[in-house]
Amino acid sequence: MHIPDGYLSPEIAIATYLTATPLWIYGFKKLKTILNEETLPLIGVLSAMSFIIMMFNIPIPGATSGHAVGAVIIAILFDPWIAFISVSLVLLIQAVIFGDGGVSTYAANALSMAFVGSFAGYYAFNFFKKIKFAPFIAGWTGIVSSSVLTSFLLGIEPIFWNENGHPLYFPFDLKTTFIALVGSHMLFFGVVEGIFTMLVYSYIKQKKEIKVVSHER
Amino acid sequence: MKDKKRLLYIFLSMLLFVPIGLLTDAPAWGEWDSGYYQKILGFVPKGIKSAKSINAFMSDYSIKGLSDIAGYYISAVVGATLIFGIFFIIAKVNKNEKSH
Repeated sequence: MHIPDGYLSPEIAIATYLTATPLWIYGFKKLKTILNEETLPLIGVLSAMSFIIMMFNIPIPGATSGHAVGAVIIAILFDPWIAFISVSLVLLIQAVIFGDGGVSTYAANALSMAFVGSFAGYYAFNFFKKIKFAPFIAGWTGIVSSSVLTSFLLGIEPIFWNENGHPLYFPFDLKTTFIALVGSHMLFFGVVEGIFTMLVYSYIKQKKEIKVVSHER
Repeated sequence: MKDKKRLLYIFLSMLLFVPIGLLTDAPAWGEWDSGYYQKILGFVPKGIKSAKSINAFMSDYSIKGLSDIAGYYISAVVGATLIFGIFFIIAKVNKNEKSH
């Protein structure tokens, strides 16, 4: 889901930066209210885990691969804004240091993987709170929702930006992109994200000594 | 404290097994290089061809002159350290701001 440079038109890239910037500012302020000596190790390690889990590339049929993101666990343990900022930081490091995901497309990637993923997962978790597998459902819903936004941003490119019948940026249409991206996340990477979220959540919740911020608002 | 340590152990074991991620060299859907478009479409979309991207320091999680596995390990450690370090700095600055 890491959209590389050159895949999105400048118009879309600018629009995603304009959308993401106020969200980053608000989220960062929220992070500063929550981050202290007690929460730093947890938020730090969970964010580092998000970075590491994205390195576990899983091959799937069709000669492609993918990975979990690890955003939802932070969203349900702390707050979706904290997850948004943490995963945005992970994506920034990936783009700048490792060339994974573009710089012009960084805001788009942050909106899908970090923002939409965290919030969709968080609301799914609260909706299914009483069910034992709520963390699994939350993880699955979060990453699948991210893939919906990514396929939308990619798939609208050939509708608007063409030259002599040749697409200028990402060339595949919305339907193809949607089936490939959302489908693979529903069947494979969503399941991995769900299992990861479930495992870490059960582990943390079982250990009562770790105090986590409640999600009551 | 003991439990935070255990979480750290989960993290460290993930780190240990990170080369498993190298087992596939299939790219993610929608993250292809230009060669793929040339092969599939017969042309490379202009925007993708002329895209300027930065020269990433450790591009593709590898380090020149090192084996894939060593490069991947070092990438994992560097990335995780940077992320944890940035949070650490934010927390420190934050604490100082609050105490003033």
